[in-house]
Amino acid sequence: MKRAVGLALALCLLSIGSARAADTIKIGLLAPMTGSWASEGQEMKKNVELLASELNAKGGLLGKQVEVIVGDDGGDPRTASLAAQRLSTQGVVAVIGTYGSAVTEATQNIFDEASIIQVANGSTSVRLTEKGLKYFFRTCPRDDEQGRVAAATLEKMKAAKVALLHDNSAYSKGLADEIRGILKTKKINVVFFDALTPKEQDYSTILTQLKAAGPDVVFFTGYYPEAGLLLKQKKRMGWNVPFLGGDAINNPDLVKIAGKDAAEGFQFLSPPVPKDLDTPEAKAYLTSYTKKYNETPGSIYGVLAGDGFRVVAKAIAETKSTDADKLREYLTTRLKDFPGLTGKISFNAKGDRLGELYRVYNVEKTGDFVLRK
Amino acid sequence: MEHFFQQLTNGLAVGGIYALIALGYTMVYGVMKLINFAHGDLFTYGAYLGMTLLTSFFLQDRLGVVAGMLILAVMVMGLVALIGAVLERAVYRPLRESHRLSAVVSALGASIFLQNALMLIYGARVHVYPEDLLPQATVNVLGLEVPLMRIVVVLASVVMMALLYLFVQKTKIGTAIRAAAIDQGAARLMGIDVNRVILLVFLIGPALGGAAGLLVGLYYGQVSFTMGWLYGMKAFTAAILGGIGNIPGAMVGGLLLGVIEALGAAYLSLAWKDALSFLVLIFILIVRPTGLLGERVADKV
Repeated sequence: MKRAVGLALALCLLSIGSARAADTIKIGLLAPMTGSWASEGQEMKKNVELLASELNAKGGLLGKQVEVIVGDDGGDPRTASLAAQRLSTQGVVAVIGTYGSAVTEATQNIFDEASIIQVANGSTSVRLTEKGLKYFFRTCPRDDEQGRVAAATLEKMKAAKVALLHDNSAYSKGLADEIRGILKTKKINVVFFDALTPKEQDYSTILTQLKAAGPDVVFFTGYYPEAGLLLKQKKRMGWNVPFLGGDAINNPDLVKIAGKDAAEGFQFLSPPVPKDLDTPEAKAYLTSYTKKYNETPGSIYGVLAGDGFRVVAKAIAETKSTDADKLREYLTTRLKDFPGLTGKISFNAKGDRLGELYRVYNVEKTGDFVLRK
Repeated sequence: MEHFFQQLTNGLAVGGIYALIALGYTMVYGVMKLINFAHGDLFTYGAYLGMTLLTSFFLQDRLGVVAGMLILAVMVMGLVALIGAVLERAVYRPLRESHRLSAVVSALGASIFLQNALMLIYGARVHVYPEDLLPQATVNVLGLEVPLMRIVVVLASVVMMALLYLFVQKTKIGTAIRAAAIDQGAARLMGIDVNRVILLVFLIGPALGGAAGLLVGLYYGQVSFTMGWLYGMKAFTAAILGGIGNIPGAMVGGLLLGVIEALGAAYLSLAWKDALSFLVLIFILIVRPTGLLGERVADKV
């Protein structure tokens, strides 16, 4: 008798154990939780976890709860490949992330070989989708599109001499190269093309060089901490040249670093953040995000990670399957104008997001980022 | 020519900071033959502590700029010195008798720990000092517009370095430090408490590193938890350039490195700026392995 009870109990436990393992749909999030891009990674996590908990409250996917498994890539390709290998052995159906282009590149083949859908959210480098990988998608636009918008903006500003400054990262250098290539065809002179070292505090050496080149406009393709310092130190030098920036600038901390005076008039390109969108999805999301975290989403890349999560969830729900080939087929052929948090989402056969996403933002006197019509 | 002098002052300003941090590396190496890889992170702690103290006590409102800054400097230096002392007790002392490599690994571990602790306490976002604490005036020096604060930064680092040099050369405790640097065993036989000397070194070095962090925070306004790595790297290079273990060497090395970077960026290439300074380092190590001023304190090899 005792033995029978014990056996029954053991069986019970076993079945609970296995039921639990099959009970969730696991979605990976690969993000820089530590390292120099940690602030971006932590926002990515906030967005994806919020969406997952909302989805679970509504009953999850295919009758199961969704579980988010976070892998930390440290903003570093080597760490990222290890994290990607770990994630691919943990039974994830799809992976959201990651942020930097070079970091994503280190993980692409690992997920592709494991037949796991990957939806990157900040990796804008052109070549990532030119390799013909089957399961790779991204919710962010590509550098060549940003380059086109940048060149058009420079033309509109009637700039004759342009200085291009990058930071030697795969993203930043790639974007600067794109812009240079397009400007060449438009007969706009590039009088300066060089890189700064990220994480330094003193950029007066670079600014002195820039000023000597005498540009009408300076385009900086790097990230917001450096952009903030450049603006501040430019102002201290008493130099009044207009500065433009790329989409890695879209972070409210820019104004804190530069100070409102120095940031005023700075313009940058970026996909719109939810507060600038009037779709019902964006509005509803903004409300629930503010309710949970007591702030509006700061970084666009966190929101793009959220969009990555939403398209994957949509694909699983529509195909009633977690099979990578079915999901891929759905995302590339059947998903059309999905109402994303950052606008409409459709993918082409390469996995790139379709449509013009970039807008021009202007930093106002108040320090707010305002969408230029 | 004006362009040259502009870049020269740019280089000197950065070099002053490098020099101040390099002093911490050099002192610890001089006495213990150990590269304290956590030193760059102590610099970061100086910057963060400065920000926290400044915003929590409103020092500048209550006391005015000059007095407020002096008190702030004393508080930051004291606290970072304390962290340095704890580091010495917890991380280095248990390994003092073991192989030198263990201590280096321990230092790297401490660096990673300190950096991540800071991230957990303050969060990963970039932090900013309160705006416009310091007068933004510029001074006309021989036809060049130089921000007043730049001059203050360079002067502050030179004064601290000079005081340290006098302390080590002219006082009794300084003599004990120098004795321990030459031979710890013999120093012990002469009645010097070597443990106390080492503790003292771990108070002074971090205090100077913390002061450098505070200066950087005050002047540039922006701090991030990873900022110590690059500064630490540069300062370490500066210390070797000048001759590690040598206090005037750290000073010369720091200022020189700043100037090489600025002029290299101006006349050769911006993107190769850092590579250039390391090339200079390699060249000097080949031609003069002890660094520019040599290693005076450590006579034994």
